[in-house]
Amino acid sequence: MLRFLALRLARAGVTIVLVVTFAFVVLRLSGDPALTIMSPDAPPAALAAFRHEWGLDQPVWVQYLRYFGAILHGELGQSMRDGRPAMALVIERLPATLMLTVPALLLKIGLGVPAGIHAALHRNSMTDRVVMAGAVAGFTVPSFVLGLLLVLVFAVHLGWLPSGGDDSWRGAILPVVTLGLGGAGILARFTRSAMLEVLGQPYIRTASAKGVPWRLVVRGHALPNAAIPTVTVVGFMVGTLIAGAVVVESVFSWPGVGRLLVVAVSNRDLAVVQCVLLLVASTMVAANLTVDLLYGLLDPRLRGQATAGAH
Amino acid sequence: MPSITRRTALQLATAAAAGLPRFAIAQADTRPVITIAVQGIANTNTLDNLREQSNVGERTSLMFNERPIDLDYTGDLALRPGLATAWRRIDDATVELSLRPGVKFHNGDEMTAEDVAFRFSPAMAFGDTRPVVNGKTLPVAFSAIIGQSSKQVPAEVPPVARRLWPGLDRVEIVDRHTVRFVNATPDVTIEGRLAAMGSEIVSRRAFEAAATWLDYARKPVGTGPYKVREFTPDTALVLDAHDEYWGGRPPVRTIRLVQVPEVAARINGLLSGQYQFACDIPPDQIQTVEQNAAFEIQGGPILNHRMTTWDMHEPSLRDPRVRQAIGHAIDRQAIIDGLWAGRTRVPAGMQWEFFGDMFIADWKVPAFDPAKARGLLKAAGYKGEPIPYRLLNNYYTNQVATAQVLVEMWRQVGLNMQIQMVENWTQIRAKTSQRGVRDWSAGGTLNDPVGSIVSNFGPNGAAQQAGEYENAEFSRMCVVLETSADRALRRRAFKRMLEIAERDDPAYTILHQNATFTAKRRDIKWQAGPSFAMDFRPGRFAA
Repeated sequence: MLRFLALRLARAGVTIVLVVTFAFVVLRLSGDPALTIMSPDAPPAALAAFRHEWGLDQPVWVQYLRYFGAILHGELGQSMRDGRPAMALVIERLPATLMLTVPALLLKIGLGVPAGIHAALHRNSMTDRVVMAGAVAGFTVPSFVLGLLLVLVFAVHLGWLPSGGDDSWRGAILPVVTLGLGGAGILARFTRSAMLEVLGQPYIRTASAKGVPWRLVVRGHALPNAAIPTVTVVGFMVGTLIAGAVVVESVFSWPGVGRLLVVAVSNRDLAVVQCVLLLVASTMVAANLTVDLLYGLLDPRLRGQATAGAH
Repeated sequence: MPSITRRTALQLATAAAAGLPRFAIAQADTRPVITIAVQGIANTNTLDNLREQSNVGERTSLMFNERPIDLDYTGDLALRPGLATAWRRIDDATVELSLRPGVKFHNGDEMTAEDVAFRFSPAMAFGDTRPVVNGKTLPVAFSAIIGQSSKQVPAEVPPVARRLWPGLDRVEIVDRHTVRFVNATPDVTIEGRLAAMGSEIVSRRAFEAAATWLDYARKPVGTGPYKVREFTPDTALVLDAHDEYWGGRPPVRTIRLVQVPEVAARINGLLSGQYQFACDIPPDQIQTVEQNAAFEIQGGPILNHRMTTWDMHEPSLRDPRVRQAIGHAIDRQAIIDGLWAGRTRVPAGMQWEFFGDMFIADWKVPAFDPAKARGLLKAAGYKGEPIPYRLLNNYYTNQVATAQVLVEMWRQVGLNMQIQMVENWTQIRAKTSQRGVRDWSAGGTLNDPVGSIVSNFGPNGAAQQAGEYENAEFSRMCVVLETSADRALRRRAFKRMLEIAERDDPAYTILHQNATFTAKRRDIKWQAGPSFAMDFRPGRFAA
């Protein structure tokens, strides 16, 4: 088991190094932070001074080695635009983002999983069709369209909720709903198809034939077996908690990590971008690892395979 | 029942005495709190205009800052007293200012000559740069550059300060309320520079008390009608009324500027009542806003011109007749009518009326004359070779739509411009084999051509520095404008510069005057001026 974990962690480390390197190369070769931060009309001497101050006048490979060396020493660099440590900037924005993404995740699970189960148990009924139509609409309508639609109805016409901003908790309602509905649609689809597949298995028929009440068949046999694909999707959603609201934060002027990332990328503020990417990659890797471990808990056969694979 | 001791009773009485008047004042303050949705608050995440030289920075600066000389923002932009009540010329290189007595900074200190002199000191502005001599800017000594955590100004500030004040040698304190600006060379533009962005006066004591330059620049202590309460970069700037403002009691209790990058979100927020103002409204949204009778659009042309410029060394553009044809092929009024709802205008070249006696009134941009354009191309031997047109995705309002219209107008006369979408200014300026044409804008940063045509296309300007343009006579005229005090000579030099850069050996062609639009509630009495700056001083706002 330890070897299994060590392998997973090593792979995660390589993934993170690749992400960081890719981001560095793309950002460094595609734009000059001096021009975006200081404006293209800044005096050439000011641009030169800015580049010198931040080491941008060095060859790219020198910049990369310096940057990577600093990361190994736990130094993630300073924002060129803000002058403060990049990690401090990201951490400052993290609560705002989690204020949207955590309730949205709960909404996705709370709405999507029961809806998917209900649709599967009432396959081809009117309820099933309504749930699936809603689910398809939920994940096919882009979040910026859904967000603007909700704003038009609930902020502009009805005046019930703010159109954006983080002035009060009420400002979080529309973005949470926007994020939640799309994810709930995805989860409902996955849960329904997983349930349908399980419900068609011989052991379900056997349990029913033996006279086990249908309620107990579903709870004791169908749900645990259908949970694995659902857990995989939920794990992926957990991985997007930090940077999964980029579009929604822009639509609702929500000052979270997503907006910070957009601004940092457009300004080529490398340290901040890297910091966000590191956090995102780490969260994603941790979520995947947790899902892998959960597989073992949900299905003893997989636990055995993982252990066997590790030896 | 709790027992009340004599000490407790005294404490309660003291608290009541201290609390009641404050409560009464708070109750009496019926001034409104307004929220303004803006696309951006500050590009550099700081509020010092020696670093934040952007349009968005100009919008907020005069809410909390003031300059020695003010501009008539609701009129003709003429110079008028600001923090200085009067100014006089000592000689061609020296201007003496009489400072307004009794002006209070936001921290309660009185503004004195010490503060003015410190603002233009090496410690706060110029670092170890030296004044420009004979048209040459001296380089910055990098050894003096210290990091952001230091109190020393960031490395990019001294070059900006030196561009704004190329020849300033020193500021002399004559007495508590009198200072002299002494230039190294004759300069007729000192008064204009004192009214331009970058000349905001801040408290020396507050600057020295701040732990770092960044701390100061996030909360500058100026003399403007509103004081900075809180600045959260990329999110919000909150300003409170400065009730000791020398110009009277500010009409708004609190101004909240919130950053809302999406146009739709700004408009929705306005219509839902969340914001009282929404800035940076594109022309195609004007009708959307004004469909609702409760709202209106303010604004129009500002001190900024949109232009097309180019790399004159691009093989197809070496012959000036091809560049002349570019200008004659453009129906500027059609662009204004089609894309700007007719709400801006074709200016008289790269100049503005507020140049005063330097304004060349009879100067015009190249006339729309397709036949002439075709003739010029034929004479130049141009045979439809492709010319790259590097284009950003709406960095300027209507940029892409304008580019598409331009390409079609140019195609009509035989010019084969090919749009290449790029992502940023680095890619626009990349000095590859073919650089072609590009978009740009020029602002009237001060009431003299040195702030625009010289600044952009002169020897130290971005175009020449990037190797896009050169003309020896034009460069000589730039030096005349920068150093001569002979107004007639300067006017002749400027006219010749327009002839060279816009007609004989074109460096650019002006498209139209830029415009900015602000949506607001109709019942709020507020008037936009011809600049990005929003004015909420006493008498400029009523709700």
